[in-house]
Amino acid sequence: MAPKASLKGKGKAGKGSKGRKEQSTANCVKEWSTWAMKKAKVIVHFGFIPLVIVIGMNSEPKPSLYQLLSPV
Amino acid sequence: MGSSGSHAEDRPPATPQTPQPLGLAGILPPKTEEKGDGKGATEKVDWLNLPCPVPFEEIQREALMSLKPELFEGLRFDFTKALNQRFALSHSVFMGSMEVPSQTSDVIKVPSAHYEFGANFLDPKLMLVGRVLTDGRLNARVKCDLTDNLTLKINAQLTNEPHFSQGMFNFDYKGKDYRTQFQIGNNAFYGANYIQSVSPHLSLGSEIFWLGHQRKSGIGFAARYNTDKMVATAQVASTGVLALSYVQKVSEKVSLASDFMYNHMTRDVTSSFGYDYILRQCRLRGKLDSNGVVAAFLEERLNMGVNMILSAEIDHAKKDYKFGFGMTVGE
Repeated sequence: MAPKASLKGKGKAGKGSKGRKEQSTANCVKEWSTWAMKKAKVIVHFGFIPLVIVIGMNSEPKPSLYQLLSPV
Repeated sequence: MGSSGSHAEDRPPATPQTPQPLGLAGILPPKTEEKGDGKGATEKVDWLNLPCPVPFEEIQREALMSLKPELFEGLRFDFTKALNQRFALSHSVFMGSMEVPSQTSDVIKVPSAHYEFGANFLDPKLMLVGRVLTDGRLNARVKCDLTDNLTLKINAQLTNEPHFSQGMFNFDYKGKDYRTQFQIGNNAFYGANYIQSVSPHLSLGSEIFWLGHQRKSGIGFAARYNTDKMVATAQVASTGVLALSYVQKVSEKVSLASDFMYNHMTRDVTSSFGYDYILRQCRLRGKLDSNGVVAAFLEERLNMGVNMILSAEIDHAKKDYKFGFGMTVGE
């Protein structure tokens, strides 16, 4: 009886720790994805317009830098 | 007798998948495509070759273009400079009052001025449009044709303040006589819609969406009936909104549009009636609302590439008078 009870107890403790580990992996994934989304947002915020300009300046026929900067 | 070459019946060519026309041509109802002689009284309908319907979000396109021009108050100046056929930069200045949505029926206007810089890259397969304002807000739109039928669209508004940014990914698939779209947005928004042509004139569609954070979901149905001369649409949603619209093309230059919206939750009923004159040198749109709001919007072509814009909206009940003027240089 006693060993059975202790086995049961150990089983529950084992399951509990495994559950906490699974919870922390889920938390880890959430934290990492939030961090990644934040970094992606900053990159897109600062880099989208330069990206469009770079793609446009490299399209045919290639416009010159003067055309990009002059207001006429 | 020249019966050696049997005179094959002159068949009209198979209906090609025409791309969505740009500019003013886009507002006219699409021509119905039917096989057989065009002027015959009874045309044989080829049920296996129905035309592709308009995208679900553009079901009310003609009505929206006629009845909802971009009315503004103040000064607006847009300059678009094309560096080559596909790439253009745009500078835009706005000085005037912007309306802030308020809970009460009062109108709250905030005077503001901003300068907006934009870059557009338009390729048949890839479209990139970015606009950035002086306060750091970025409006980005990307449209990419992954294959002939599958299109990816990304729409994002990013701000400097945290938690105010919005983004939406749309995957569109265009089939022979149907279109479907799947949307993923921030705040765990998921949506899907599907529209199918059931006859050369009629197309039916439906959409569902799910908001993760508020655990709200909704379903809606839409129908669109269009001929050469008129477009009638109806939309019902489980959020309690019913929207009907009707546009009649009276002549090449004149269209009349009317629109009815009923919101069951707020018991709000609005109906409006408007006209759209597309003349050689100008485009004049005007509308009258059931709330007593009268609005007009004029775009006049002064010269090649130079347009003058006048906008007016008068609401006697709320004592809200908005007049705006501006100029658009470049395409």
